[in-house]
Amino acid sequence: MRRKLAVVVAGIGLLLSVEPVFAHHSFAAEFDAKRPVKLRGTITRMEWINPHAWIHIDVKGPDGNVVNWMIEAGTPNTLFRRGFTKDSLVPGMEILVDGYVSKDGSNRANGRDVTFPDGRKLFLGSSGTGAPYDEKSGK
Amino acid sequence: MSHRFIASMGALAVMIAVALLAPVPIAGQAKSSTANTTTAAKSWTEPRTADGQPDLQGIWSNATLTPLERPRELAGKQFFTEEEAAEYEKQVLQHNNADRRDNPNTDADVALAYNDSWYDRGTKVVPTRRTSLIVDPPDGRIPALTPEAQKREIARAEARSKRGPADSWEDRNLGERCITRGAPKLPSGYNNNFMIVQIPGTVAILQEMIHEVRIIPLDGRPHVVKNIREWLGDSRGHWEGNTLVVDTTNFNDQVRSTSYNCCGGASANLHLVERFTRVDADTIDYQYTVDDPTTFTRPWTVAVPLTRAPGPIYEYACHEGNYGMANLLSGARAEEKAAAEEAAKKGSR
Repeated sequence: MRRKLAVVVAGIGLLLSVEPVFAHHSFAAEFDAKRPVKLRGTITRMEWINPHAWIHIDVKGPDGNVVNWMIEAGTPNTLFRRGFTKDSLVPGMEILVDGYVSKDGSNRANGRDVTFPDGRKLFLGSSGTGAPYDEKSGK
Repeated sequence: MSHRFIASMGALAVMIAVALLAPVPIAGQAKSSTANTTTAAKSWTEPRTADGQPDLQGIWSNATLTPLERPRELAGKQFFTEEEAAEYEKQVLQHNNADRRDNPNTDADVALAYNDSWYDRGTKVVPTRRTSLIVDPPDGRIPALTPEAQKREIARAEARSKRGPADSWEDRNLGERCITRGAPKLPSGYNNNFMIVQIPGTVAILQEMIHEVRIIPLDGRPHVVKNIREWLGDSRGHWEGNTLVVDTTNFNDQVRSTSYNCCGGASANLHLVERFTRVDADTIDYQYTVDDPTTFTRPWTVAVPLTRAPGPIYEYACHEGNYGMANLLSGARAEEKAAAEEAAKKGSR
């Protein structure tokens, strides 16, 4: 029975559309849904600032030219609580960014989905860091 | 498990699905002041500060999956059963998971902003399993607006419709502008933490979001004169038994224009009364009543428990790097330019 219930709920889950879960400001007003972009780049600088962190990356184009992009992320506070620190993401690391280009056409995008080239998620906190949520979970 | 059970859970799942699809925020309801309390530990003795006040100090979180207003699809259903609550939590967590990419290349997908790891909205409904944070009126929804407030809303919407989404920074809400999230701040996507500090004669409440601090005198002084208007209003506190009661007036008329604000479309006439009661080592029963007869046809009350959270609390210096504001203004200018060029092209054909 429980399995049947799970099936019913899962089926309905598929019908759900995702509604905006707002960040500090409207990303939909800043970035263009009609201009998705995938970037592979090397971090040149991290801005761990509020209200949103920014990741600066160098991206080599097909013509060999290197272009610097700014990638907008979330508040550092949440990541600190999970044991993700400024040492977890540093210049020289390569990342993949799947996001949307800014409406004004400059080289900025949101980091809608950011991963390492091997597919690992970027922002999984590590354990044993002494971070608040780490201690809470007793890891 | 009976067929009836399956049928009722199926119906609930449909209600939840429909509720999640509804574009409107939420609402809720609750009973008396102890509504959100968990069972107090038997060994717990209410702590006191050095000068003998009930001790509310510490770092607390109001993160919860329970919506402010009861979704219309759950009308008449005040409480979830334990099983229903678990299903609801599961569905809301799945629904909110920003790592999902169900609707690529849409504004909805852009609005989810970034990976789910950046969010911190809690994983549970309130311990009472109420289906809304609003506990009064019993339907769990913000009461109807007065005719005067309805006219005001229509005029406001009309004025807004004459402007673009970002003609000026003043067209954007107070949160985006880093001015305030209002107080009390309802649960949101992250930074749902509060720090309470007490010294003789004063309580201070730090809201992590935009690190706003409320300094609340307890010495019985009157509110400031009427023509002084503040973003967070003018608060005065006193003790009623073990409950800290905070009475706030003198709001300005713009606080409605922020995200996660406490009080719906309340005007500058808002009279807010908050109640903080420590009920066990890890919980403060927290309720507030919104009274604004020039806006709502009746007062309404919200109950959202504060649960002990691990420290520290972090600074959230919103203006530090709010590039987003400049970017969305330049984005709006670029869209206007593109629209004008398109119109010119059509005109020359």
